[in-house]
Amino acid sequence: MELRLTPAQNEWREEVRGFLDAELPARWEKSSEWCEDEDFWEFAIAFTRKVSAKGWIGLTWPKEYGGQARPTIDQLIFSEEFTYRDAPLINTIGWGLAAGALLRGGTEDQKRKFLPPIQRTEVIWAEGYTEPEAGSDLASLNTRAVRDGDEWVISGQKTFTTWGSHADMLYCAARTDPDAPRHRGITIFGVPIRQDGVSFGPLFNIGGGRQNHTFLDQARVPHENMIGQEGRGWDLIMGGFYGGNIGAGYMEAQQKLDKVVAYCKTARRNGRLLIDDPVVRDQLAEMDLLVQAERLLTFESLSNIQSRRPPAFAGAIGTVVSKESMTRFAELTNLIVGRLGQLAAGSDWAPIDVASGGPEAWFRTSIRNHAGGTSQVKRMVLATRGLGLPR
Amino acid sequence: MDIDLEQHQLDLAETAHRFFADRSTIGAVRSWEASELGYDPGVYAEMADLGWLRIGHPESVGGVGGGTLELSVIYQAMGRTLAPVPHLESAVIGAGALAAAQAAPGLLERVLSGTAIVTPALAEDDAGYGPDAISMPAELGADGGLVLAGSKILVGYANSASHLVVAARTAPPSDDASGITLALVETSAPGVGLTRLPNLAGYPLYATTFDSVRVGPEGVLGRAHAGWELLEPVLDRAAVLRAAQIQGAAERLLELSVDYAGRRTQFGQPIGRYQAVQYLCSDIAIHAHLTSLLVRYAAGLLDCGLPAGKAVSEAKAQASRTARLAPERAHAVHAGIAFILDFDVQLFTRRCRHWELDLGDERYHRERIAAALAA
Repeated sequence: MELRLTPAQNEWREEVRGFLDAELPARWEKSSEWCEDEDFWEFAIAFTRKVSAKGWIGLTWPKEYGGQARPTIDQLIFSEEFTYRDAPLINTIGWGLAAGALLRGGTEDQKRKFLPPIQRTEVIWAEGYTEPEAGSDLASLNTRAVRDGDEWVISGQKTFTTWGSHADMLYCAARTDPDAPRHRGITIFGVPIRQDGVSFGPLFNIGGGRQNHTFLDQARVPHENMIGQEGRGWDLIMGGFYGGNIGAGYMEAQQKLDKVVAYCKTARRNGRLLIDDPVVRDQLAEMDLLVQAERLLTFESLSNIQSRRPPAFAGAIGTVVSKESMTRFAELTNLIVGRLGQLAAGSDWAPIDVASGGPEAWFRTSIRNHAGGTSQVKRMVLATRGLGLPR
Repeated sequence: MDIDLEQHQLDLAETAHRFFADRSTIGAVRSWEASELGYDPGVYAEMADLGWLRIGHPESVGGVGGGTLELSVIYQAMGRTLAPVPHLESAVIGAGALAAAQAAPGLLERVLSGTAIVTPALAEDDAGYGPDAISMPAELGADGGLVLAGSKILVGYANSASHLVVAARTAPPSDDASGITLALVETSAPGVGLTRLPNLAGYPLYATTFDSVRVGPEGVLGRAHAGWELLEPVLDRAAVLRAAQIQGAAERLLELSVDYAGRRTQFGQPIGRYQAVQYLCSDIAIHAHLTSLLVRYAAGLLDCGLPAGKAVSEAKAQASRTARLAPERAHAVHAGIAFILDFDVQLFTRRCRHWELDLGDERYHRERIAAALAA
């Protein structure tokens, strides 16, 4: 047990803060990587490349692949500060998902080929898991990959591909052996996007952004882009995001809570400040508890990573709590802000800012419930694999 | 940064787990609940022999060091088994108040060796908690002593206690917490009356009345009017330990529920295969686990001397919620049979009701969180 940071870790935090102070506009409050926004893209990619140039993408990777071999706690401090400031870091699928899989299951050649361009934010990756008929039940995916000499030929449809039309590579799960048990016939490929066999169709979402359908029509992939072993893609999928890229989602909530508290200290309703309203105070306390639970679940993950120990309850508690509590958090925000909360960004009377008090508060957090699997599915994992209840 | 327990704490947890599993069987818990005493003096004496009453107190007053984290793993084990002992009231709060006031060293040593019980008397007619809820007046005499008149309720183990730590109001509050004085009162002193309060948890809870009870200057703990200052850190530690006890009870309810759901067959399959039942079980798991994390964090902050008030209230607010939710979900899984006294679930349900409301309920601690946010 050590709840204090070392002086060096505190200095690291200050260094990160200094960078953000210098590189972000004063009232920056737009971060969501989950909703495409064309205006956002140009700033975000330039910003992320500056982070790359500092060596802070791939902070925890081994040095031979462009990383800094820093400890996970440094990554968490970095994530805390970036998340609190809504810093527009893109290529999550690149440095989170693809890099994690490569570090765990890639060949030496693949690591040397793919990781440095991700570190430099030169190659942008998009996610190719979900299909129209394979959402929560991902293992039922139908995208087919067939070997053809030194290449694979891939056909099928992926969906909810954020930033797909801006990306260079698709981190794609495809079925290579339709006769194998369904979890044993899936393989991961890095599919080059800029080729005739790959096209996109837009899906405009409730948050004002866009995702994509991704159509794969005899897309060709060199065999050397097969990540991990043939037929063992499910192991990489279940491995999830690379532990070394530990995130700090609670800091997004902490930032919103801080803004809502500040709002409550100035906004009056029914003849008194909101902060003096006992119902509001109770709601603020509930929001604080939601943030604190997420924070401690993350600290627990950090300790698990540091001691190389698998998480308790099949790792499902943190996921379920995060998914369920952040939608409740946004609901509480909207309850406190009240009717002004329906006003959109740019409206003169919109309270606080759009991310904290506006409709986006719920739109943005509601994404949590489905991105990466619904809470209902994670609850099934918790019950069966975590608690040992019968399937 | 690391929120893992240390190896010696894990070892202590294992020892405590085995100790209470062996000594505080469900049968023993049931029989002590029915007794006048309301606790198991044999188990309490053994805890004293193990040095568990001295944990968390400085060596200068006869403690053995260690802190809230060490105690929390013992409390988790006590919660799992519903071990009936007056440890929290006496070895944590009573001894904590005496140690903080550097008063009555002889009595403190007897408390730490388990041969005397000192219990706090805080709640009044409205059963509130916190400094605002202390209004029983006491008159300070010229000699520095005082005279108590009024009553305190929900006093645990008063029947077994040699002394009470009574919080009384000696001055109007000039801020949130001032004007309270702590008095050490012998239960056998003239004018002290005890009335048992039958209750849901089967706890030995008492109303204590004070009919012009005279307390000498040596019985005033700490400085006059500054009693809450002295007591608050003690109660913070106690609230975290109550939360650890709730965590243990919730973890046991989870085991009972998962086990039952795996064995009970209806409509041709184990009910644990139904997602509705799986949700009930996962709710218990989630709330027990969140309680454990918040307990560990608050205990860790207390032990390294960092500001911990908000974290303490986060732990107890969550624990109080868990104390409601875990039994409710366990009853839903077990259905009718949980309603029957021969089954064990109800023992947890009834204890949890007391622990949920003790040392500040969810509402109290949420307000304390809000006050910290608003500051």
